[in-house]
Amino acid sequence: MRLLLVEDDTMIGEVVLDLLRAEHYAVDWVKDGEMADTALVQNQNYDLVLLDLGLPRKDGLDVLRSMRTRKDRTPVLVATARDSVPQRIAGLDAGADDYVLKPYDLDELLARIRALLRRAAGRAEPIFEYKNISINPATRETLVDGEPVSLSAREWAVLEALVARPGAVLSRAQLEEKLYSWRDEVSSNAVEVYIHGLRKKLGSDLIQNVRGVGYMVPKA
Amino acid sequence: MRMTHSLRGRLLWFLLAAITLAALAQASIAYNTALSDADQIFDYHMQQMALSLRSSTPLSNTEAREKLEEAPGNDDLVVQMWSPDGVQVFHSVSRARLPQRAVLGFSNVKANGTTYRVFSIQTSGQTVQVAQDLAVRRNMAGNLALRTLGPTAVMMPILMLVVWWVVSGSLKPVARVRKQVAARQADDLSPVSEAGLPDEVRPLVHELNLLFGRVKTAFDAQQHFVADAAHELRTPLAALRLQAQSLDRADNPEARKTAVARLTAGIDRATRLVEQLLVLARQEASAANGAATRPVDLAELARRTVGDLTGLAQAKNIDLGLQHADEASVNGQPDALHILLRNLVENAVKYTPAGGTVDIALRLEAGAAVVSVEDSGPGIPPDERERVFDRFYRVAGSEAAGSGLGLAIIKAIAERHGATLRLDQSERLGGLAAIVRFPLGKA
Repeated sequence: MRLLLVEDDTMIGEVVLDLLRAEHYAVDWVKDGEMADTALVQNQNYDLVLLDLGLPRKDGLDVLRSMRTRKDRTPVLVATARDSVPQRIAGLDAGADDYVLKPYDLDELLARIRALLRRAAGRAEPIFEYKNISINPATRETLVDGEPVSLSAREWAVLEALVARPGAVLSRAQLEEKLYSWRDEVSSNAVEVYIHGLRKKLGSDLIQNVRGVGYMVPKA
Repeated sequence: MRMTHSLRGRLLWFLLAAITLAALAQASIAYNTALSDADQIFDYHMQQMALSLRSSTPLSNTEAREKLEEAPGNDDLVVQMWSPDGVQVFHSVSRARLPQRAVLGFSNVKANGTTYRVFSIQTSGQTVQVAQDLAVRRNMAGNLALRTLGPTAVMMPILMLVVWWVVSGSLKPVARVRKQVAARQADDLSPVSEAGLPDEVRPLVHELNLLFGRVKTAFDAQQHFVADAAHELRTPLAALRLQAQSLDRADNPEARKTAVARLTAGIDRATRLVEQLLVLARQEASAANGAATRPVDLAELARRTVGDLTGLAQAKNIDLGLQHADEASVNGQPDALHILLRNLVENAVKYTPAGGTVDIALRLEAGAAVVSVEDSGPGIPPDERERVFDRFYRVAGSEAAGSGLGLAIIKAIAERHGATLRLDQSERLGGLAAIVRFPLGKA
């Protein structure tokens, strides 16, 4: 899962960045509205945008409006200190999917991010189940026949991306984008290595290879 | 209602006194005029009476009485006649006993406890004396004077009623203003209507409205400030909360160390913001109170500021120095001016990258002491140089964690000292040049 963090406050930004990375999200961080615009236009593969509103150069609400004008449907979680009811309404009406007020709780922020990702994937139920396999994105718990399976962070990231949209085929490049933020070096066959590892642990049924296109998880 | 402080009461009292005095004066003048007129008329009358009684042959008592009764208004007159040998031949009916001797012509004679006006005339046949009690004349004059007082006595209550009515009517708008002001909430500072007010009161209400306006401006500014401050406190508090939570999550010593360092930095920032808010609030309060000023030696202040901040500059390997210092002194508040200089230099050190230069200079120019702080930092783009004075405004992309209040504080202090603050690009160092001009002459 790849997230764009738009936050002008260095102290808040660095903590949230670390936290999201610890949760195995691939996160890019920009500090002003214009950079957020640029990042969103150049890379249309973000799964979620965590957007502050009081930004230098271009206001967060304007960033949001231009996204929606471009028909960019990426879920946007607004995290801001603008707390009045009219401000919250303005934020939601401008196209935000959710609105949290600063100071917010980290766990709540993460839960809201998961909920938005889940809904963006067209699911309401928090746990993905397929045959004998059960995957819980909130706890990152993967069960095979009721037994927990231990996955590496990268393996989990690939699995989560695929499970997020069952039935959709993701190319290797798309998966790479979900895995790595700007800071990371990407090795050429990394995705194949993680897919291989996942199949070994979960069986070969779950992740299917669509030849010449990419990978998919079948609809439950 | 105390009469001495009520406009209406005073007016009525003074009017009453004035009318009474005028009436008394009028009566007294009327009395005197009437008395002098009566003297002339009665004297003439007495003279005519005496002349008519005079005859070459002595009159008998009966003849004289008949003659006397023909004369009009003769009741008050006392007539005596004597024969040439001094025998009284006639005495009109009167209780008055006048002296038997008579001075010829007019004279005033006291007898029987009253004063008589006496006219005597002598002919060959007899001596005729006509006398009149002066009280008659005084009574007549007194009656005349009293009659002139009549209209005034009628007019007085009417006049006072009219005055009462006019004054009450004129003061009605004042009462309305009083009610309006009394019914106000503490935060209602809208102007009071000046319509219908008497010219004497309107300037007062006008000034009151101007004062309301000034208080409202200050009040609004204060409210905005509190709202801004509350909003701005949210960000450092949000950071603190996140930093504390991330410390809680840290599962290895290194992560914990990072988290603690971040939390400490967050607390420092929140502390600094609160301090700056306090400084700004105090500066604005003392601006409002007009705190006392005294001559301040700017060169000494500049040296002290450089001394204060040398440590900070050295920690960042920044060359901080006092480049030029003319001796100059301005009238002001030493503490406030110290904060101004300190904030300027601190800003320069904060925003200048390590290894850079910060120069302070104090120069005497035409009619002004000019303090400049120049640095080799990134400067501020021209289109942002006005906005940076706004509270909580931070230049985009600046890494340093400022409160956004430093320049607002500097500006508040400069304005209070009548100084102008200008931001420009430093020609020598390439970064920002902050220039404060203190006009001299008043010092």
